[in-house]
Amino acid sequence: MSITRLAVISGFLAAIIAAVVIEALARRPQSRIPRFGEVAAVVMRYDLAGIPVGRLALLGFWFWCGWHFLAR
Amino acid sequence: MEQPEDLVAERSSPWLSRYLVLPVFVPLSLLGGLFPSFSLEANLYVLLLGGAMLTAGLSSRLPRLTAPAVLPPGVVWWLVPIGIFVIFEVITYAFGSTHDFPTLSLLADPLLDGYLMRSLGYFGWLTIFWGMVRR
Repeated sequence: MSITRLAVISGFLAAIIAAVVIEALARRPQSRIPRFGEVAAVVMRYDLAGIPVGRLALLGFWFWCGWHFLAR
Repeated sequence: MEQPEDLVAERSSPWLSRYLVLPVFVPLSLLGGLFPSFSLEANLYVLLLGGAMLTAGLSSRLPRLTAPAVLPPGVVWWLVPIGIFVIFEVITYAFGSTHDFPTLSLLADPLLDGYLMRSLGYFGWLTIFWGMVRR
């Protein structure tokens, strides 16, 4: 395995581990860190001229992720 | 998006409705695992499920969980994993997503070739999608 491939895999693993740790910290009582679902909920609430652009963006992004990873 | 009061579910009440649908995702995921990548069946299946979820998510008929009015300052911590991910994804994409510089999807492809992991992938995708629909 090349050093660059190892570094890239380590980077992605670091991102995943960091997300799990932050989510765990957010779930403690009285935490000042919001859960990821709460962050997503606030983003999804964003409207522009009556169009739910935040909701469209996140749902559309996740739709694309499913297609990208599972269908192509 | 503003919700009528009767359609906004409280955080303490939606446990049942949130998890009640998960058993429905099991057969859907087991079926999806049968369709290989790049197949017409996989494309149609993802478009069907994703389209249904997207429609449900944009519908105002489903009750939604309450969202916080303001996020606490600790929200910036989420920039750490997102930032790390974006940096590595952009760099590997810029290098052409090769064996030595693989994007996440290139790394995931061999994992998602197996039936079990593929089915688990469908289950995770649907579960998170449902969680977003309920938000």
